Amino acid sequence: MLKVLIPTIMLFPTIWLSSPKWLWTETTAHSLLIALVSLTWLKWTSETGWAVSNMYLATDPLSTPLLVLTCWLLPLMILASQNHINPEPISRQRLYITLLASLQTFLIMAFGATEMIMFYIMFEATLIPTLIIITRWGNQTERLNAGTYFLFYTLAGSLPLLVALLLLQQSTGTLSMLILQYSQPCTLQSWGHKIWWAGCLIAFLVKMPLYGVHLWLPKAHVEPPVAGSMVLAAVLLKLGGCGMIRMMVMLDPLSKELAYPFIILALWGIIMTGSICLRQADLKSLIAYSSVSHMALVAGGILVQTPWGFTGAIILMIAHGLVSSALFCLANTAYERTHSRTMILARGLQMIFPLTAVWWFVANLSNLALPPLPNLMGELMIITTMFNWSPWTITLTGTGTLITAGYSLYLFLMSQRGPAPSHIMGLSPFHTREHLLMVMHLVPVLLLITKPELMWGWCH
Amino acid sequence: MAAWRKLFASVSAFRAMNAPCRSFKSSCSRGAEKDFFKDLEAQFRSFREKAAAAMPGSDWSPFELNPGLPPERADVVIVGGGVVGWSIAYWLKRKETVRDALRVLVVEKDPTYSQASTVLSCGGIRQQFSLKENILLSLASADFMKNINDHLGVINEDPVDLQFNHSGYLFLASEKVAHIMEENYSTQRYAGAKVTLLSPTQLKERFPWLNTDGVALASLGLENEGWFDPWSLLNALRRKAVSMGVYQCFGEVTGFRCSTKMAETLDGDFFNVNRIKYVNVRMPNSLEYQPVECAVVVNAAGANSGKIAAMLGIGLGPKQSISGIPLPVEPRKRFVYVVHCPDGPGLDTPFLIDYSGVYCRREGLGGNYITGMSPEETEEPDISNLDVDHEFFQEKVWPHLAHRLPAFESLKVSSAWAGFYDYNTFDQNGIIGQHPLVTNMYFATGFSGHGLQQSPAVGRAVAELIIDGCYKTIDLSAFDLKRILLQEPILERNIV
Repeated sequence: MLKVLIPTIMLFPTIWLSSPKWLWTETTAHSLLIALVSLTWLKWTSETGWAVSNMYLATDPLSTPLLVLTCWLLPLMILASQNHINPEPISRQRLYITLLASLQTFLIMAFGATEMIMFYIMFEATLIPTLIIITRWGNQTERLNAGTYFLFYTLAGSLPLLVALLLLQQSTGTLSMLILQYSQPCTLQSWGHKIWWAGCLIAFLVKMPLYGVHLWLPKAHVEPPVAGSMVLAAVLLKLGGCGMIRMMVMLDPLSKELAYPFIILALWGIIMTGSICLRQADLKSLIAYSSVSHMALVAGGILVQTPWGFTGAIILMIAHGLVSSALFCLANTAYERTHSRTMILARGLQMIFPLTAVWWFVANLSNLALPPLPNLMGELMIITTMFNWSPWTITLTGTGTLITAGYSLYLFLMSQRGPAPSHIMGLSPFHTREHLLMVMHLVPVLLLITKPELMWGWCH
Repeated sequence: MAAWRKLFASVSAFRAMNAPCRSFKSSCSRGAEKDFFKDLEAQFRSFREKAAAAMPGSDWSPFELNPGLPPERADVVIVGGGVVGWSIAYWLKRKETVRDALRVLVVEKDPTYSQASTVLSCGGIRQQFSLKENILLSLASADFMKNINDHLGVINEDPVDLQFNHSGYLFLASEKVAHIMEENYSTQRYAGAKVTLLSPTQLKERFPWLNTDGVALASLGLENEGWFDPWSLLNALRRKAVSMGVYQCFGEVTGFRCSTKMAETLDGDFFNVNRIKYVNVRMPNSLEYQPVECAVVVNAAGANSGKIAAMLGIGLGPKQSISGIPLPVEPRKRFVYVVHCPDGPGLDTPFLIDYSGVYCRREGLGGNYITGMSPEETEEPDISNLDVDHEFFQEKVWPHLAHRLPAFESLKVSSAWAGFYDYNTFDQNGIIGQHPLVTNMYFATGFSGHGLQQSPAVGRAVAELIIDGCYKTIDLSAFDLKRILLQEPILERNIV
């Protein structure tokens, strides 16, 4: 763990001491090295559930894929931001990369945490760099609104979590997950216990986001620059998922009844947000709502608390992280060229950028969960486990899959096919950097078809 | 609260009292430090005042945004808030598939519209052109205006009343040009205009107040022709467009920020192709400007379109190349005189246009008429201001007018005004389309006096170009800008 964490912290001196000419090269190379080193975590050598490096930071089959995703994403974020940050003064560029690196540090410590309080603190700490990225570097006046929504939704959700965790500490004496997994399931019947249950989960449900509390997500995904959108969609949402899976361990047996309304809300959210996607005019907004739709499926999978549910949730989280980030990068390339996020104005791009049309095609097919991609595997496992929980859910999840296919194809056809309007004829061609970015997003998704054991969690 | 404020006031007064003591210790090195503290205190004081005002009920906000600034980003920026600009904005919003798909911004230099061609126009609409496209445009616009409340009606607001007088246009042709009138007549009928030809005797029967001396043939529009109030149309379009979500900004476009690429022709010439990234909009009476990030810009600036095009380098290149051909739109001043004649022709007076070039129409119900004439090419009035030349009326307009309408031998000029045509010096017809050197600017200008009557249909055509990529209802490829570059004019065969 420290072999990744210390280099990430050393990224700060790299950023501030590089010469301006080499800043982007050096930070990209440094973060890529960290990413490659983090791949060693994928080799699971421990016989226990945890590959413990010390008492406070450890990896387990849940956090390993998420950690690798986080480390993989930092060089991609730096690659994606290079173009639009370039005109700014050098200290502001350094500040931007510092924010991304600090986000990385907090995320590594969050995913690797063994104490719930450390997880909570890192969970909260990731809000600050993200808020700064959204409100300082966003493109429109609406970014202030977006930052407010983002901050206050997440804070309002996580304050009960703090109280719940302190109560748990009071009753069990420890908050270390290594110990809590062996604690006796307590008989919890009173209303106070039910509110405690809700308090533990609300923060993560808001972060996922669950359908009823998802309003911050379209705003917070649309307004920030590409790196902000990437990290939000790919990793920060998964913090919610990871937190939920961790908390579920200690929340039995109340979850059997209390999870009911949240599962229903999640299932309904798949359909509702999918339908909203069909009516979106803004490219990034469509991808943001599609994130809500996929994460609602993940939330449902976690809340039914079966092995297949957890497995499906982790697979879908990793696959969605990579694909959603890829879609945001593609949307950003269109935005940097046409200066508009509307889908009406940037159409028929296949004629102008044929290779990029390939990336759009693969990304959209992954988004609609085409077999044999891991997106489908995750979705299938979740749908199956929910069918086991209650056969009626198949109507909702099935319709949801249909609508997902609908809007993904709509996105592809609107942006790539059809006649290209005459005002986008003179667009500058794609850089190698952008193609590299897309390859580094999509090739892992394709490679994961061959070895899904890396993402299966501890349930198999 | 009040006590707290008093306390702070006394503290600041105390500090102000101490300031002279501090100044005795001042030396050159402490000067900057003292200024810093003074500035700081001034800022604290103003912040306190603002915070005190920010009790519920006040509209103080921590961000000092100028409310007149345009948004930082828009998808389509329409330069020019005249009737063509607002028509394009309205149709863009009407054609978008999903609500709020397009963010449209209309930038208008003058909120009072004091020099805008739209509001200074006579407001006539006719289908009696020789080009099929012009006829179709006017027909479609007339249809739009007859059903204006279906198009531009806003719920809970007053219905739109354009005061459309369907009195028709009456063109008079002399012997020399009667054959042109006949050819135009068949084109107009073929395109669907309801026009009829009249012989001098029929003319005298229909309009006994007319002197048919020298008239060989006349052509009268029976439907969809007449005049209306341009200010009402402008406001109706604006109200509806704003209700559909179009942003309006009063400011002047002072420049563009483009990204430029070099392109090579087959002959080996190099020229720069621009793509507009930002439009710089400057606030009125201020140096403050906002760069608006945009995807598409529409040049509907009327008489000032040439200046906007010059900001992008159109016309500023070497003389023999494409970039050396400027946009041939310039302002031309035209005078309009309001005359009062108690014995003049009655309610059925059409918009009369004589072969000498003079025109006259009824205005209102009190015996007032609007009249004027296009000056010769060589005698164009000065365009630096909108002053009226009354000598022009006395010497040029009145003789022809009195000859044609004997009742006008005794009349009184009650008032007059002048307005600009966005005159297309190349062929006096509209320019719609794109320039090869600017990839994302659309032009909709140069209508040379027909802009108002064609504006609803032109708006729809430009919206089709932007959203659908091609013309869907009326094919206006004849009006494309490339005819200017290829030097192929399409001229109206008018009789005047």
